[in-house]
Amino acid sequence: MIRTIPEQSGTTVVSTDRNRDRIELILSHLDRLPTLPAVAVRLLAATTSDRSSADDVVRIIESDATLTAAILRLVQRADRGVRLETATVAQAVVLLGFSAVRNAVLSVQIHGTMSSLGASAEGEAFRSEFWTHSLAVACAAEMIAADPRCSAAPDEAFVCGLLHDIGKIALDACMPKSYARVVDRVKRQRECICDAERAMFGIDHTVAGKRLATHWRLPRSIIDCVWLHHHDPNGLPPALIGSNLVQVVHLADHVVRSRRIGFSGYNHTSSFEELAAGLGVDAEALNRIANRLPERMERYCELVGLGELDASDICAKSLAAANQELGRINAELAGANRQLEIRAKCFDAIDSFTRSLGAHKGVAEVCAAAGEAIRAMVDGDRALAYVRSPGGQYVYIGRSMPSSRHDGCSIMDVGTTSDAPSAHDPAAPPVAAGFARCSGWQSELWTRVFEKPAARVIHALPIGAPGEIGVGAVLVSAPDPRISLFRNANAECTALTMAIGLAVATAASRTDLERTNEELLDVNRRLHETQRQLVRARSISMIGEMAAGAAHELNNPLAVISGRAQMLHADCADAAAAERLNMIIEQTERASQIVTDLMRFAKPEAPTPMSHGLADALAEACQRWRTRSSLRDEQIVLSLPAPDVNVYVDPLQLDTILDAIIANAIEATSPETALIKINSSSESSDDTIRIQVEDNGVGMAPDVLERALDPFFSDRPAGRGRGLGLSRAYRYAEINGGCLWLESTPNIGTTVTIELPARRSG
Amino acid sequence: MAKTMTDLSSKKIFTTGEVAQICKVSQQTVIRCFDKGRLSGFRVPGSRFRRIPREALIAFMKANGIPSNHLDSGKKRILIVDDDAAIVEMLVELLTRDGRFEVRTAATGYDAGILTEQFRPDAILLDFKLPDINGTAVCRSIRANPNYAGTRIIAMSGVADPDEIAELRAAGADEFIRKPFEIQMLIDRTAELVQVA
Repeated sequence: MIRTIPEQSGTTVVSTDRNRDRIELILSHLDRLPTLPAVAVRLLAATTSDRSSADDVVRIIESDATLTAAILRLVQRADRGVRLETATVAQAVVLLGFSAVRNAVLSVQIHGTMSSLGASAEGEAFRSEFWTHSLAVACAAEMIAADPRCSAAPDEAFVCGLLHDIGKIALDACMPKSYARVVDRVKRQRECICDAERAMFGIDHTVAGKRLATHWRLPRSIIDCVWLHHHDPNGLPPALIGSNLVQVVHLADHVVRSRRIGFSGYNHTSSFEELAAGLGVDAEALNRIANRLPERMERYCELVGLGELDASDICAKSLAAANQELGRINAELAGANRQLEIRAKCFDAIDSFTRSLGAHKGVAEVCAAAGEAIRAMVDGDRALAYVRSPGGQYVYIGRSMPSSRHDGCSIMDVGTTSDAPSAHDPAAPPVAAGFARCSGWQSELWTRVFEKPAARVIHALPIGAPGEIGVGAVLVSAPDPRISLFRNANAECTALTMAIGLAVATAASRTDLERTNEELLDVNRRLHETQRQLVRARSISMIGEMAAGAAHELNNPLAVISGRAQMLHADCADAAAAERLNMIIEQTERASQIVTDLMRFAKPEAPTPMSHGLADALAEACQRWRTRSSLRDEQIVLSLPAPDVNVYVDPLQLDTILDAIIANAIEATSPETALIKINSSSESSDDTIRIQVEDNGVGMAPDVLERALDPFFSDRPAGRGRGLGLSRAYRYAEINGGCLWLESTPNIGTTVTIELPARRSG
Repeated sequence: MAKTMTDLSSKKIFTTGEVAQICKVSQQTVIRCFDKGRLSGFRVPGSRFRRIPREALIAFMKANGIPSNHLDSGKKRILIVDDDAAIVEMLVELLTRDGRFEVRTAATGYDAGILTEQFRPDAILLDFKLPDINGTAVCRSIRANPNYAGTRIIAMSGVADPDEIAELRAAGADEFIRKPFEIQMLIDRTAELVQVA
């Protein structure tokens, strides 16, 4: 018993039970079918037994008076030309041949029994067709078996062929109406008859036939043929294949079907050449057998007296059947062709759409490509594809017109602009709906994008939207007949819109990814910069602690040196010695000053910023250096800022900054050619004053430039370093809320830029 | 037995007889002034003997216009506090050679406290960075005692940190001198602070 969720288990159980019941019903029907006459059974046993002889057969026939009479009538009819007084069955056997008599008897018996099974009115036509088929297979099987290369008894093959499809008669007898439906369905849909039978009855004719054959107590070889004649013998276990009769019947069946003699439903068999080769029968032999089949059947029917069959009639009928079928196939093909044409258009559209997708297309560009693909597919005048942003505020739009080479892409804000169509589109149709009339919102959008209403009706194809991107559609104006072609191709249209949806989603996520990447890069850069500043701040604070310690430690001995020298100097009468002592005193002071400077650099005095005129500060600094340096006045060029430009910094520290930078510029230039330009600019927007000091000195190589702001750094391996000048300027700019940087080219010069706050911030 | 002036000048506690000798007045006058409270002092526990501390005597003499020069040697007492022996040695030599100063030295804040009590310096040359406590703390504890209100403090340091200087001045330092220094400036400034010509 199947136990799953209730309603499912309910239906499953019912159908399984119903199926089992149905099969039981059919099997019980089969068991109640009339049996073959005893004489027929004995005859069959004798035929399939190796030990039986012609005498046995004659005896069996003679035991049945009716049968004897029938045989004798048969002989007379068969031998119309010769009036022969045949009185005995034995004579008939001599005259007609043993197998012919035996076959005739069997055919008559089986035909009679089958006819007694009764058939519906619909069944009659089928029965006749079926009988023709069975006879044909029997004849074919006999001829195949008669081929010297095939090791099967022709007599047995005939009987097996004759009986192989008795299951069909059995099913038809049990369930005539249902079987008529099966036959009808098989004819219409060219379905395999076994499948149709199984669908209808739960079993097919091979199983029903086996049951009937067992019921009739037919010999084992016949039961096997009835049961297994649709199976590929190669796939059967060897124990099931007593002789190659099964193969012979299978092959005969195939030959008869290929000639369309009679009708017995369709079978989808494949490897019959292989089968023929296995039996040692070549294609040419099969062909010969097939050609001789109508004539053989005619003769046989005449002989057996089972209705009049005309060879030409058989041929004509088989041709007609073939023609009819060809016509049906033709009609089907034409329909399929139409469908394929539409399908091809859809796939062409998908193809051209995917081809036009570059690696770096954005959502709007994908929309334009989608519009172009669909416009081309339906031969439209214009098309536009739109997709909403996830928030619904923006609509990505791509439009396509046959005249313009360039597809237009845009992003429309529908969330804020009052005259734009609102973001809410209540009439959005389901994605798998195919082409539909566009909604009011969509036609509004169309008018807005193309700046005029559409000349024709606009059709909308919703875009499949996997992922987070909002829904959208392709709108196209095209002739109605073109659109209606695609009305029944929803699956193909859905494939197309899904492809578009997928491309849109891909483009959207790629755009997101790119943006994220860019942001990540920026964050990375800032992190790097922060780290660099942190390292710098930490090293500066370390320098500060070290310098403070050093100042204490160094200044005591320096005080002693200086003090002692001063005392000696005071007592010194020798002018030369006094001069040397003076030098000691001065150098001691200088050493002390260096330590103090370093400490001040690391731990500068807190600035006392105040707003004061930049022009004055710059002018005074220039004046100081014109006086202090050996340069001529015109070698220091100052572009004065407007008198009302103020800076908000500590005035003394600003002087220190300017002095350090100008001193550096002078040091980098040669006195004869030096030209130092000082400019300033202010931007009211960002409250920043920018001062630039430009020199035409030796400049700095990149590696030197990199370290130019480090305290005591010098690019000259020997000789005096720059000291703290630029480092201190940088530090002061920093603590006053500004910044300072250098640009330099070797042999061209250096430009120092300082940015300082113009006013108190906050 | 009468003591010489030199003996008397270094004493910390005086009898009424000694005070009379120093001030060149009669002992009875001294007793009267003591009893009336014009000359402050104490009685020896378990007796009626009057004793006058040095500070009270100097205050009394100043209040009554009695010259007090002969109470000391005539030189200004300078206490040098620094843990750097070379600095101390140099300063001692410098100030002693000048002739106007009597000099004592201490290497720690603790020693500085004891010597301030004993030596009663007119000025202290105080290094900011001492092995035990820093100069600011020394400044503060001296200024907390009104007896040393007249003591001048000259702070010295190898580092002229504006914050530290402000702190020292707030703690009561009269002057800050950065090391190394001009010796003449140091002497001039010291003399100026202790009011020697």
